[in-house]
Amino acid sequence: MTAAVLAQVVVSGALMGLVYALVAYGFQLTYATSKSINFGQGELVMVSAFVSLSLVNAGLPYGLVLPAGMLFGALLGLFVERAGVRLALEQKSEGWILMTIILGLFFLSAAENVWGRDDRPFPTPISSDPIHLLGVDITPLEISVAVGVFAVMGLVELFKRVTLLGKAFEAVSADRDAAELMGISARRAIMLSYGLSGMVAALAGILVSPITTVGPTMSSTLILKAFSVAVVAGLDSGFGVVVVGILLGALEAVTSLTVGSGWREAPGLVLLILALAVRPTGVFGKATIRKV
Amino acid sequence: MLRVEGLHAGYGASEVLQGVTLEVGAGQLVALIGANGAGKTTTMRAISGLLKPARGRVILDGREVQGLEAFQIARLGLAHSPEGRKVFGPLSVEDNLLLGAFRRLPAFFGYRRHAAAGLERVYGLFPKLKDRRTQAAGTLSGGEQQMLAIGRALMADPKVILLDEPSMGLAPIIVQEVFATIRRLKEAGTTLLLVEQFASSALAVADRAYVMERGRILREKSTDDLRHDEGLLQAYLG
Repeated sequence: MTAAVLAQVVVSGALMGLVYALVAYGFQLTYATSKSINFGQGELVMVSAFVSLSLVNAGLPYGLVLPAGMLFGALLGLFVERAGVRLALEQKSEGWILMTIILGLFFLSAAENVWGRDDRPFPTPISSDPIHLLGVDITPLEISVAVGVFAVMGLVELFKRVTLLGKAFEAVSADRDAAELMGISARRAIMLSYGLSGMVAALAGILVSPITTVGPTMSSTLILKAFSVAVVAGLDSGFGVVVVGILLGALEAVTSLTVGSGWREAPGLVLLILALAVRPTGVFGKATIRKV
Repeated sequence: MLRVEGLHAGYGASEVLQGVTLEVGAGQLVALIGANGAGKTTTMRAISGLLKPARGRVILDGREVQGLEAFQIARLGLAHSPEGRKVFGPLSVEDNLLLGAFRRLPAFFGYRRHAAAGLERVYGLFPKLKDRRTQAAGTLSGGEQQMLAIGRALMADPKVILLDEPSMGLAPIIVQEVFATIRRLKEAGTTLLLVEQFASSALAVADRAYVMERGRILREKSTDDLRHDEGLLQAYLG
């Protein structure tokens, strides 16, 4: 195996890893306001991808499919918050864990019934003819993944750090009652974070589908890896998920090439177990400061 | 400015408040004192909407607010500095203060400019907060956190401030500092309802006081009367 092949594999893997990072970022968004995550996030990715595919097949131009798909994802995120999370959070229970899993299974069955069990190609106007760049072949399609991931994460991070509403998100996470006393509606902040999280999930689906195809099984593959990335990176660092996502993607691709494609899933699980054993707050996570 | 009439509230089946009635006039500092478990904090929580009152009325500046969500009552001009301070630990001191003014600031950009005068006022009152403004609030000492909690309430430019146990868990010398601050706020014309365990300190600054016992207002007196009521002091105030 030559260095060129290895470089090629690393780059393709890393780009795939960016998609894991984006899905993991969806976990972080809702965790940031409510300390809850949507365990059905993978199904949100899949259903949004299917809906977008239907829109493409209905003849909608790609430039409109992208925002429409993201809007659909956001609405689905809001639905998950309303149907599965809100009541549990208000009663300070952990019921959202089971509820989001159930909603995910529901979306999965619905998708299988509506769109069937087969994987389907996702047509896109973005070319997949490789360009030769610094010794590796990279397709415009892959570049669009990177651009999309960085653009949306950059915008959301900017919102969280720079705007007062973004700081209010963090206040709700730190102390929900105290945030209410400042005139911040905790319910609306949590709704907004679920909407954003759904939007990010949809974008991940639309970006990855032309490369991997769309199918009901894409949710479980993606969710497992995104979960590994979120746990390894920690649930509060956007920068962390990008680094860990790229690393995991590259590692998977290299493992698949050298050890065999059957071992593709191994690095993610090994990383997950290592992180839980050695650093449960995540490599980029911060231990919470508590002072009484 | 703030009137509470026949307020009933509780947690689950247990009714803690059994008809609390009190009034705080504009510019007044009114103390609410009583033994542990008398219902002082519950009264505060029921006024600010953290706890939904079962019956009774809360009138803020002529408007009935009972039954509204806490964030709505806050937006109408009630600032509640809760028991245990509850500063936003991971956020910086300045961000805590900015969020205190959330109700009157633009939600996206330009909020720092709008908040400049308020920040200056709070930093003038608590110079220590200015020194530590980029520090995470969770790393402040108890006394500094209490200053921050009061500053955060002031940032809202509220009509009424509820101060719940500002001296809790603080060293005596810091408690003195806190009461000096409360006195200054009063002189500046702030309307305050103060809950305190240290009844004598509270009575020293308050215009009027209510004594609470088992979810009811036992009596209302001028602070001079209360301070000379030996029996009462013995019984409730320690």
